[in-house]
Amino acid sequence: MLSIKNLTASVDDKPILNGLDLEVKPGEVHAIMGPNGSGKSTLAHILSGREGYEVTGGEVKYDGEDLLELPIEERAHKGVFLAMQYPVELPGVNNMNFLREALNAKRRAGGEDDMDAVTFMKLIREKAKLVQMDEKFLKRSVNVGFSGGEKKRNEILQMAILEPRLAILDETDSGLDIDALRIVSEGVNALRSADRAIILVTHYQRLLDYIEPDHVHVLAKGRIVRSGDKSLARELEERGYGWLEEDAA
Amino acid sequence: MSSKTVESRSWFEQLLQHEAPVTNEPAVVDEERLAARAAVQELPLPGRRQELWRYSSVSEIFEQSFEPATEDLDVELMAESGDWLLPDTQAYRLLFVNGRFAPALSNVQELPEGVRLGSLRTALHADAQSLAIWFGQAAKHDTHIFTALNTALMHDGLFIHLAAETKLDRPIEVMHLNLAPEKPLLIQPRNLVVLERGAQAELTERYRSSGDSHYFHNGVSEIVLEEGAELEHYRLQMESNKAYHLHQGFLAQGANSRYRNTTLALGGKWSRYDLQVRFKAEGADCETNGLYLVGEHQLTDQHLDVLHDTPHNSGRHNYKGIAYSSGKAVFDGRILVAKDAQKTDAHLSNKNLLLSRRAEVDTKPQLEIYADDVQCSHGTTVGQLDPQQRFYLQSRGLDADTARKMLCIGFASEVLESIKREAIRDYTLSRMQGALDNVIEKLNEQ
Ligand SMILES: Nc1ncnc2c1ncn2[C@@H]1O[C@H](COP(=O)(O)OP(=O)(O)OP(=O)(O)O)[C@@H](O)[C@H]1O
Ligand SMILES: [Mg+2]
Repeated sequence: MLSIKNLTASVDDKPILNGLDLEVKPGEVHAIMGPNGSGKSTLAHILSGREGYEVTGGEVKYDGEDLLELPIEERAHKGVFLAMQYPVELPGVNNMNFLREALNAKRRAGGEDDMDAVTFMKLIREKAKLVQMDEKFLKRSVNVGFSGGEKKRNEILQMAILEPRLAILDETDSGLDIDALRIVSEGVNALRSADRAIILVTHYQRLLDYIEPDHVHVLAKGRIVRSGDKSLARELEERGYGWLEEDAA
Repeated sequence: MSSKTVESRSWFEQLLQHEAPVTNEPAVVDEERLAARAAVQELPLPGRRQELWRYSSVSEIFEQSFEPATEDLDVELMAESGDWLLPDTQAYRLLFVNGRFAPALSNVQELPEGVRLGSLRTALHADAQSLAIWFGQAAKHDTHIFTALNTALMHDGLFIHLAAETKLDRPIEVMHLNLAPEKPLLIQPRNLVVLERGAQAELTERYRSSGDSHYFHNGVSEIVLEEGAELEHYRLQMESNKAYHLHQGFLAQGANSRYRNTTLALGGKWSRYDLQVRFKAEGADCETNGLYLVGEHQLTDQHLDVLHDTPHNSGRHNYKGIAYSSGKAVFDGRILVAKDAQKTDAHLSNKNLLLSRRAEVDTKPQLEIYADDVQCSHGTTVGQLDPQQRFYLQSRGLDADTARKMLCIGFASEVLESIKREAIRDYTLSRMQGALDNVIEKLNEQ
């Protein structure tokens, strides 16, 4: 589904990704861990099309197509979704309208009609319940005045409504209290299916207790330096990254 | 005197020649007109060197000749052919065409006791003496040359009078329609709104024009709120790309009166709204909200002049603007708190969004405080759309244009939400969306 080969990228001529390889198949959950500044968010941003990164080499194929050639919104229409590490605030943009526009944009791109208002309301209520988000957040401006954890839940709500095929969650667990972590995990697990894939960027084993990954990778200095199964995450929890970074150097 | 000033003086004089000095109006009116006529010949001419005219040049207006609009056109017939329906059918409706009341297309029947709604001309003819305590009091003809011009050649305009304690059960909706299909016209509505003690009303005024009507609108509104009166006032201006629109509002607030206004300026070649706020006593509250959108070859200007010279009055003034292409927006807001105006609460904010490099914003919020026990603030910003926000929206599947539009509406939403009546808010939002569609299209062409 997603195939990244020898990807190199830089920001302002500073290399950040240095030959990254990753294969993700439908139905899989991949966890990416790694020290601060190793390039995890950079990878997530490049996959979703954010400007400001220069891809200097390698390739990214999504369902056999060159992902990097696609405009940002087309990636979204084709099922790529990034839950951001730092969700952006949109003053004056009503959360409910935003969700409706996003959903309908995707439907239109897929040749469907806009969802009628009644069905949409039912859908949004159901999904808000899933992530245990009070409906008052739907009436507010997107993320404005939301607490850190509320912003993360709002990301998961968007994900639940847009039902992406490839969801990339960039530290969605950071800043969540224990209950919220469980709720968010349930939201993610509800999305798991044979034709969808999930990439979890996280620093903590805790999340992986709730969402069991099929593969765990360590990203250091812009490359995947170690891959394994869920036991790798436990090993990292005990030993830290030092022993791996030496390998990467 | 340079030749330029001579030319602009003669521009005014030529206009005065279109009419006899005295026109058989009630004595009060004829006296005002005569005095105003003299003032037009003496008052300083507007020009770049005057602070009031520094950013919005009037020379373009003086280069053109306009003829005062007369009743020759069959305005009602013309108005009937257009789609000028007002959004709220429950409202008392008034149509003014080229500044003159068009009763056939208005709906002011069955007015409650204590309410007068309609033509200022008719009201003055019926009862000039009792109107004289308000008419020409807030808008002095001897201060601004354009006010003097309006007074010198005034014919008609909106008149609202609510007697003490009259609370209007339905909103008032006024369409000021300007039609100048052939020659360039001078259109000069003269409006007078008086709410006596404890009266309450809601007023929506729309300024529109047909096709590419070419005219200079030089309007004056006097709004008098006596003790405890409350007025909710919406002003929506959207005119042709050949329209020059200058309108001066003069607001006089009595003790504990309340004025809430939202002004939307969406078009015209050159448009400027000046609002002057004066407090006559204590305990009054004035809230003004403004939104302007300006593009290719357009100029829009909002002037606000608030004088707190009595204590215990409050004012909140929030203006937002969006400029694109070669559009130019001006905001000049001045709040003066005099020495004796203790416990004044005054806040002024102006935020602007520049959508293209050629667009220009001149913003000048001024706060002058001479009292020591007050709560005042002012702030201004000029910024661009945030690429992070645009990315966020696009990453959720919205195309770049929709994303931009959503962010612009988001930027404007604070002002849009200050419109309490839903029908007006929706109408305004849809106009704004329509205007933004054009904006985005133009941006893409660049
Ligand atoms: N726009 C930018 N300008 C300059 N440097 C950048 C920019 N974006 C990323 N970087 C740098 O690239 C490196 C990788 O950043 P990235 O955000 O991808 O790290 P990360 O692995 O997500 O870290 P964390 O675990 O702290 O979230 C960092 O050194 C960062 O400072
Ligand atoms: Mg990161």
